[in-house]
Amino acid sequence: MKCSIIPPYLLQRLASLEDPALAPVAAAARASLQRDAPFRGIRVGETPPPTTADRRSTLTTRTLRDADRTIADAGGTETLPGTVVRVEGDPDGSDAAVNEAYAGLGETHDLYRQVFERASIDDNNLPLVATVHFGDDYDNAFWDGERMVFGDGDGIVFTRMTASLSVIGHELAHGVTQYSANLVYQGQSGALNESVSDVFGCLVEQRSLGHSADDATWLIGLGLFTDQVEGEALRSLRAPGTAYNDDVLGKDPQPAHMRDYIETTDDNGGVHLNSGIPNHAFYLVATALGGNAWEHAGLIWYSALTNGTVPATADFATFGAATEQAAIDRYGADSPEHTAVRDGWAGVGVELAPLPAA
Amino acid sequence: MKVIVIRTGGMAGLRRTWEVTVDDQPDSESWAELLTRLPWENRPKAPAQPDRYVYEIRCSRRRVVLPEQQLTGPWRELVDRVRNTEAPR
Repeated sequence: MKCSIIPPYLLQRLASLEDPALAPVAAAARASLQRDAPFRGIRVGETPPPTTADRRSTLTTRTLRDADRTIADAGGTETLPGTVVRVEGDPDGSDAAVNEAYAGLGETHDLYRQVFERASIDDNNLPLVATVHFGDDYDNAFWDGERMVFGDGDGIVFTRMTASLSVIGHELAHGVTQYSANLVYQGQSGALNESVSDVFGCLVEQRSLGHSADDATWLIGLGLFTDQVEGEALRSLRAPGTAYNDDVLGKDPQPAHMRDYIETTDDNGGVHLNSGIPNHAFYLVATALGGNAWEHAGLIWYSALTNGTVPATADFATFGAATEQAAIDRYGADSPEHTAVRDGWAGVGVELAPLPAA
Repeated sequence: MKVIVIRTGGMAGLRRTWEVTVDDQPDSESWAELLTRLPWENRPKAPAQPDRYVYEIRCSRRRVVLPEQQLTGPWRELVDRVRNTEAPR
């Protein structure tokens, strides 16, 4: 067992094993903690305080660097990357989309750095790049594996896609997922991928606005629709299915509960539809715990996403179990946090998989 | 003959459908020519990119599902033409 790649909270558990048959394991874990304690910032035998993010163990010291942002302009074409128009440190110019993308990348980078101690989306200080003015009347934004890409909207249904911080956070979170659990973009794992993006998109916006879980709108894409649309936003984590109801767009089709899970071949198996279910689970956990969602439910979700326990093909039950285990690891079994996580998933009708074996 | 384009996915997850009855079009011959150029058999699998559109195209009894990145050449020409001809529902 290579102790140096085991995260500290797991080493703590191994170090306190009492079974005599596992004594060598416990001893090895204690030795590893002792040897690495100066780098980890915790002492052997101490439980890490619950408010610090889990530290990822690496063999090398990973510095948390400032954001390194580049914004490019596709000029209404669909050619990527486009022409670079702003680099890190440049002041705001006259192009609102460029300014919004730059600011949004910064806010998102800051959430990961300050709250989750993550060095950019790959946890290795990856430069953040975005292209704006993609396409003609392009009502969309996406992550292409390397950069975020934003359209300008058609001005009839949608305004420009950079106008929403939750959308910017959503797109960048696809990058974080790619570099961590890498949830397959299909079926339930795809709906989880989408949900993780909605959750962290919300957290970027909430932290930027200083909204606690009780104050927050819990909406994705607030402000993207024009005045002509009967609707507030693209999605609601508080009440999936209620974000819009419009003559042209139809009604928000998201389910909030497993009983309404949508089996479809549309949309890679309904990834933007069924994300409503894990979205609502997060909302329930965050509001049960209160305070700032990024400091409580957000830490649990971030842990589960990045601690290596979620397979790329995870379904809701498996991901839910990973969040339950993350809550137990951080806060203890039967803590308010553990209870909130169990209740949150129960509230959307997801029966959790058995906890991963210790 | 009808050409049906169904677009799903995208960041907003909206479902839009466009339908053109080719025989009713004034330039039905050029539509027919475009339909003959559609590479129904040549569909390499492409990895999904988050929040990109997914296009389902139906014509006669044939059906194809393409990620937005693969909507190129005659497929792109067809979808652009369909969208310029009819409003979505």
